[in-house]
Amino acid sequence: MIRIEQLSTSRGDFLLGPIDLDLCKSSYLTVLGPSGSGKTVLLETCMGLLPPETGRVWFDEVDITNIAPEQRLISYLPQDLALFPHLDVKTNILFGARHRKLDQTLSEKRLNDLLDLLDLHNLIDRHDVTTLSGGEKQRVALARALLPGPRLLFLDEPFSALDATIKRQLQLKLREVNQQMGVSILHVTHDQEEAFMLGEQVAIMIDGRVRQIGTRDQIYYQPKTLEVARFLRNQNIFDMTIEEVLPDDSLRLSSDISLTAPGFAGAVVGARIAAGIRSEEIVIIRPNKPIGPELHENLFHATVDDILAFGGCHTLCIRLNENNMNLDVELPNCAMRDLGYEIGDALQVCLRKRSLWTIPVEDSSNLLEESHDLLR
Amino acid sequence: MPRDTAFKLTMLLPLVVLTAYFLLLVCSQSAFFSLPEFIRQLGHANIHSAITLSLIAATASTLIAIILAIPSAYALARFDFPGKRLVDTLIDLPMVLTPIALGTLILMSWNTAVGRVLSDFGLTLPFTLAGVILAQFTVVVTISVRMLKTSFEQIDLRQEQVARLLGCTAFGSFRHITLPLARRGILAAIILTWARAIGEFGATVMVAGTAKGQTATLPSSIYLAMSVADLPRAVTLVVILISLSLLVLFGVRKILEKT
Repeated sequence: MIRIEQLSTSRGDFLLGPIDLDLCKSSYLTVLGPSGSGKTVLLETCMGLLPPETGRVWFDEVDITNIAPEQRLISYLPQDLALFPHLDVKTNILFGARHRKLDQTLSEKRLNDLLDLLDLHNLIDRHDVTTLSGGEKQRVALARALLPGPRLLFLDEPFSALDATIKRQLQLKLREVNQQMGVSILHVTHDQEEAFMLGEQVAIMIDGRVRQIGTRDQIYYQPKTLEVARFLRNQNIFDMTIEEVLPDDSLRLSSDISLTAPGFAGAVVGARIAAGIRSEEIVIIRPNKPIGPELHENLFHATVDDILAFGGCHTLCIRLNENNMNLDVELPNCAMRDLGYEIGDALQVCLRKRSLWTIPVEDSSNLLEESHDLLR
Repeated sequence: MPRDTAFKLTMLLPLVVLTAYFLLLVCSQSAFFSLPEFIRQLGHANIHSAITLSLIAATASTLIAIILAIPSAYALARFDFPGKRLVDTLIDLPMVLTPIALGTLILMSWNTAVGRVLSDFGLTLPFTLAGVILAQFTVVVTISVRMLKTSFEQIDLRQEQVARLLGCTAFGSFRHITLPLARRGILAAIILTWARAIGEFGATVMVAGTAKGQTATLPSSIYLAMSVADLPRAVTLVVILISLSLLVLFGVRKILEKT
């Protein structure tokens, strides 16, 4: 549907790209990145609000790189919503229909459909849009963006100013819009939970470049670069060397500890790599509890050094007995209550091979310290 | 608390002095003002022509200034272009130049090739309405540009961009979003520009002179009356000018309160 090829532009000192992205029909792509990574600039360039320096934007195989924004048939929901304060709710919603010269009957039908879908019946007669609540404004702005019947919708952090409950309701509405109306969505956000909840595909954008793109699981569990791993809050990163490439392409890794981890193309014995595991993927076992054979691999004795309580989970800061290496283990509150760990308790941890990721390392940075600094 | 009171008094005292000073200026007219004389003066042809000329010239110069200032101010508020800072500074020139000097510059410009071409087309300045309008326009256009630029800058660019993506052309977005959102700023700019134009004296006298019934506006008629010690006429003209100015200032305040 929309294809972005080698797109680059600049705004002041900031350079975007070159970026390649492909969004299929009716799909949902989230672009996840920290503030200042160029997400909005990317959208503005695709929409024709900023001129590209290089590259092309294709919409259904038509080159739209140099055509005016109003001819691109892309709808846009910006972070601040940009409702028109001099127009009432209904005129705001119908603005696109009026200026795209939509048939009256069609726009009335779409209006009614959207009023149903977004629960807007009680708001449609409101005169002053500035008196709407945050969630109401979001729904009106979304209806305004959808009424012209776009095939592509660009969202720029639309829920960043909302409280958690309203945000979740609107996220579910967006999923309905994507699935029921068949609108393809390109959604940029810095909110990891939102990106993984909504995006069928997730692209990680850091410093103006797309660093990795893939399915939710690929991005979450198999980061391809250390930047991506760190941005996605991978706390447990180990600096290791490949000791052996096993017949099943797994790697035997060593440093202060030995690990068996998944392999990757081009892995050679003696190469330095980063291995990591998400804190919620670590299995913890009581010291004397019998365990099945599947947990014997990468099994270590450890001690609880600290316990940090968050809203819905706890993080156990543990130290491996054999080398004093620190690990963070995330446990849901219910599990924590059942297990009842306290500081100083002994336990066993299993870093299952299938939960580990590995990345070749070329620079000489201290991986362990940088990763643990993220949490503490 | 005593410290708060001292602070309030420090701030309020200069305000009281200023208010007293301006009241003194306005009320000092009353010593020379008599209603029968005022009514008698109002029937005088020269006062009629001064009022008419002032109203026509101020309205025309305001209209021209606003028509040129709206796009210029928008361009300054929204676009980046080479020499923008220079243009911005140049437009501010009438703010810092005394109107007399500005009038001199206008007269000199009429001796350039451009001025001569315009003269050949019949656009002469001395002792003409065109001269009065051009002098007023030159002085007031900066006010319009400055006020409108601020007004456009306060409008969220994102609203214009969203309108474009909803099907508006750049002109459509300007017409349907920018202008309605800037309407109060535009109205305030029109009123203040008009108020400044009707009170303009220095540049008008330099460019168009003070021919009675031809180019003598309200301010230049006051000057003429005072120069021949015709106090009743001067007072009448001042009262008219003060009334018009106060009316305009109250109008602006009302508009700004609604913003």
